[in-house]
Amino acid sequence: MIRFFLVLILSIFLSFIFQLYIPPMIFLKGAAILFVPALLFYGSLAFPFPLVLVLVFVTGLWNDLLTIPRSSGHSDYVIGTSIIIYLIPALIIHGFRPLFIRKGWAVHLVLAELAAILTPFCLLAQYAILSFERSDFFFSDVIVWRILGPGLIAMVTTPFVFLFLSSLSHLVGFRPRAEVMKLT
Amino acid sequence: MRGPSIATLVVFVVLVLVLILLPGGCKQQIQANFLQFVSPILKTGSSVQQGLGGMSGGLKKLDELEKENRQLRQENEQLRTTNNLLKTLETEVNRLNKALGFRERSPFRLIPARVIARDNASWWNTCSIDRGSEDGLAVDMAVVTEAGLVGKVATVAKNISSVVLVSDESLRVSVSIEGTNEQGIISGTRASSNFAPDLRIRFLTKTAEIKPGMQVTTSGTGGVFPSGVIVGTVKQFTVKELEGVAFVQPAVDLNKVQDVFVISGIK
Repeated sequence: MIRFFLVLILSIFLSFIFQLYIPPMIFLKGAAILFVPALLFYGSLAFPFPLVLVLVFVTGLWNDLLTIPRSSGHSDYVIGTSIIIYLIPALIIHGFRPLFIRKGWAVHLVLAELAAILTPFCLLAQYAILSFERSDFFFSDVIVWRILGPGLIAMVTTPFVFLFLSSLSHLVGFRPRAEVMKLT
Repeated sequence: MRGPSIATLVVFVVLVLVLILLPGGCKQQIQANFLQFVSPILKTGSSVQQGLGGMSGGLKKLDELEKENRQLRQENEQLRTTNNLLKTLETEVNRLNKALGFRERSPFRLIPARVIARDNASWWNTCSIDRGSEDGLAVDMAVVTEAGLVGKVATVAKNISSVVLVSDESLRVSVSIEGTNEQGIISGTRASSNFAPDLRIRFLTKTAEIKPGMQVTTSGTGGVFPSGVIVGTVKQFTVKELEGVAFVQPAVDLNKVQDVFVISGIK
């Protein structure tokens, strides 16, 4: 389990870097392709609660350290906020863990789509916090697309990410099902 | 909930609280250290991206050549490769000459830097450059190209820095409009991005005679940006309830900018 956990942590880190080099989708008004939420949500399904918390902490922290500019030491988005933002959907997804470890690929596909649907939540929460801090609820169709667009893209990409991670977990000898049976 | 879960939850909550409540300087130091840690990966990523760009350009030309003369493909391929290499070099030399010329003409002391990563994935418009405190960079230094203003340095590590771009909503620059006495504050919006920047000058007088095409330059007020740096040109001027707002097309293509200069002082 720890081996796959470390692999997932590394994958999240590399995805953060990789995302920097992926151009935004111009036909979706600049919506970004995000892989990190899919990786985090897979981890939330595959690992027990303590490890989910570690994953959420690391993902949120890296997200803030990499993306948030601090002008003159000041930032209107406090570093660490994304940990709380990621925690909520990760815990929702973690609630489906019993389903994930018992059922087959069809359920995995449904859970992948659920994870994709939760992706825009992170962006919406970031947008809401920024708007609150800047005391200005600027809204336009571009904003809508930049929140919903990554979710739409994730609906296509997340099943493949889940499939890849599932194969990877088997490769490193981690099967959530076997691990749970041992616990019970 | 089992014992280990409760213990992890307590540690998690404490860590998050500590992180959020850390003083700003401490957070900036952590951010700089992290940036320094990822800098080799970002530099490698940038090189790979450039390499891939060059390769795809080369393949396109190979296809064209194949259509033109199928029989001499092998010979031509060799010539074409050399030609491509020279063309790439020529473009590079032209670009660097232009940059060097700008550096010599400029009244400012300029530190050349290269953009190694662009953040497209969030509400913030930033990029990373391959220069840091070892090269004399400091927080709040203005970043420009020969075309105009790019942004300002936000976080500085040893040999990498992050730059907040002029298209970002959090960066506010005092500007004046050519041919008028109008001064205002320019900033991006939350919808603004590198490829579709949405820059607006606010706090202009409602009766101002501002026309499309007028040049916008930094006014120097505030002390961060020197005066006279071109920011862009006016696209549109609208009058709102309390103020005039001018929409601006930035002078620099923020989505494509590669070579930048950091202003470290006046010559």
